[in-house]
Amino acid sequence: MRHGQFATGLLIVSMIALVPASTPLQIAPAQAAEHTASAPSALVYFHYPLDGLRVPERFTVKIGLKEMGVAPAGVVKPFTGHHHLLIDTDMVPLDQPIPSDYNHIHLGGGQTEVVLTLPQGTHTLQLLLGDHQHVAHQPPVMSKKITIYVR
Amino acid sequence: MYRFASFCFIVLITIAMDARIEAGAQQPAPTRNPSAAKAKIYFVDLKDGATIPSKVKIRFGIENMEIAPAGTVRPNTGHHHLLIDTGLPPLDQPIPSDFNHIHFGSGQTEAEITLPAGEHTLQLLLGDHAHIPHNPPVVSEIIHVKVDAATVEKTRTPAPAGASVSLVEPVDGATVGRNVTVKFGISGMDLAPAGTSKPNSGHHHLLIDTPLPPLDREIPSDLNHLHFGRAQTETEITLAPGDHTLQLLLGDHEHLPHDPPVYSKVIRIRVANAAPEKAAQAAPKEGRQPSPPDAAVYFVYPTKGESIYPNSTIRFGLRNMGVAPAGIAKPNTGHHHLLIDVDTPPLDQPLPSDLNHVHFGNGQTEKKITLSPGKHTLQLVLADERHIPHDPPVISERIEVFVKIVRKRSRRR
Repeated sequence: MRHGQFATGLLIVSMIALVPASTPLQIAPAQAAEHTASAPSALVYFHYPLDGLRVPERFTVKIGLKEMGVAPAGVVKPFTGHHHLLIDTDMVPLDQPIPSDYNHIHLGGGQTEVVLTLPQGTHTLQLLLGDHQHVAHQPPVMSKKITIYVR
Repeated sequence: MYRFASFCFIVLITIAMDARIEAGAQQPAPTRNPSAAKAKIYFVDLKDGATIPSKVKIRFGIENMEIAPAGTVRPNTGHHHLLIDTGLPPLDQPIPSDFNHIHFGSGQTEAEITLPAGEHTLQLLLGDHAHIPHNPPVVSEIIHVKVDAATVEKTRTPAPAGASVSLVEPVDGATVGRNVTVKFGISGMDLAPAGTSKPNSGHHHLLIDTPLPPLDREIPSDLNHLHFGRAQTETEITLAPGDHTLQLLLGDHEHLPHDPPVYSKVIRIRVANAAPEKAAQAAPKEGRQPSPPDAAVYFVYPTKGESIYPNSTIRFGLRNMGVAPAGIAKPNTGHHHLLIDVDTPPLDQPLPSDLNHVHFGNGQTEKKITLSPGKHTLQLVLADERHIPHDPPVISERIEVFVKIVRKRSRRR
C-alpha cells in the first residue's frame, strides 16, 4: 500500500549510506526503539525565517514549540524533547535516531535558536523534535518544510 | 567549515538525485485501474460555499460506477476517500491515510465528521481496491465550507455519581504564610493529564479568588485559574497577605468541566503578613550558576509597546544558552520565568512562584496567558534548576504591553 513511502525510504537509505564515513552516524539499531509520546497538540515551528523568505548568508534560525517543553538530549522527562534542524534533506525515518551530520543539526543543549551560514541559493529547512535518545516522538512533532533564498 | 559543509551536501544531493532516479526506475508506479466513462462522484446536498455545523453528516454520491469495499477487486468499482483541507495526492500512488485523507474502505456512502471552526475544503476521490485512484481519476469538485464557530460543540465528559474533589490542605479558615502548599484530593475518579481522554478521569484546576467559571466551556487559563494539566496533586503558590478563596474544579482532557461538574467547596484562607518560610528558603543557598557572557533572553512575542489581545501566547527566545526543565542540572541551561506586573525580584534567591511569577519548569518556550485589558509589564528571567537566576542574571528588558478591549460583536436589529 505504501509504495511511495517505500521509495522515499530507499532514497533516504541511499543518502545515508553516502554520507562521509567520518560523521558519527548511528545506522539503525535493529531493535525497534520505544517511542516517546508527544503532547496531543504539540507543534514545532519557525519564528524565523518564514517560508519563502530571503535571508543573508549568515542568519539565526529561531524555533518555537507549542504545548511541549525543551530539555537537553539525555534528559528523560515526559512531553519534552530537543530540536533538530534538517537542512536540504527529506524527512528522516521516524523510528530511528535522527542522523547527526551537516544536514541534520542537533540542538542537544536545549537551544532554541542556532546561527546558520549557507551558500547563496535556495535551501530547505525543517524542524523535528527528538526525545532523549534523538528518536522522533509518536506522533512525530515536526514543522513543515520551508524554502528560503540565501542571497 | 560551513562552506565545506555546504559543498559536501551539494555533492551529496547530486548523488542522492541519481539515487532517486535509480530508485524511481526500480520502483515502477503501480498500475491504475481504468475508470468507467462518465463516472462521477459528488457530495449529496452540500453546496460549495455552504455554512455547516461543526459536526455534520456528509453523504457521498456516485454515478456510473459502483462502491466496493477496499480489497475487493472488481472492474468499475472503488471506495470513497474524503480529502479535507488538502489538494489531490499523487494519483499514481495509494491515497495516504491520515487526518486529511479519510478512507471509507468499508464502502460507506456517508460519514459524520467534526470540523473545527473556520473555512475548510472538502473533496472526494475514488480509490480502487488498493486505494489507488483510477485512470482517469474520479474526483468530485472541491467544496468550500465554513464551520460556524458557535456550533463547535464540545461534549462534556460524564462524571460518575459520587465523584468529588476536595482541598486537603490548607483547611477552611486557616491562616497561612505567603507560600502556601495546596494539596488536592479526588475520589471516585482518576487523574489523567490534559489531552488524555480516558473515561472517569480529569485534571485539577485551582480557582483563586474567583467564582466558578461557566461550566459548559473550557476553563480559562489565567492567574486566577491555574491548570494542573500534568495531573499534579499539589502545588505551591505565593499569595499576597490578606483573605483569599480557593476552589478546585475538575476538567476533562479538553479542560471542560464534567457533566455533572466536579468541584470542591470554596475555602477561605488568610495569608499572614510575615513570611516565615523565607528564612528556610535562603538556607540551602549554594551560589548561583554562571551564565555565558553573551547569553540573552528576550520576547519573540509580544514586543515592547505592542497591543495584544487578552488571550495571547507569549513566546520566549533564548540566545547562547539552552533550555532545560527545572531540576535538571546542566551547565549553560535554565528554564524561563515570566514576571507579570511586578518589579524584578531579588536575583540571588529562588524566584517566587505565584500568579505574577510564572515558572516554566517543564522547559516550555511559550505560554498562552489571559490578561485583563489595559497596561501590563512583562519580563523574562532565566533561572537554574533550583529557580535561582544565573550570575550574571539572564534577564530580559521589562516590556510594557497594552491589552486591547475586545468588543463582543453585538447582534444588530
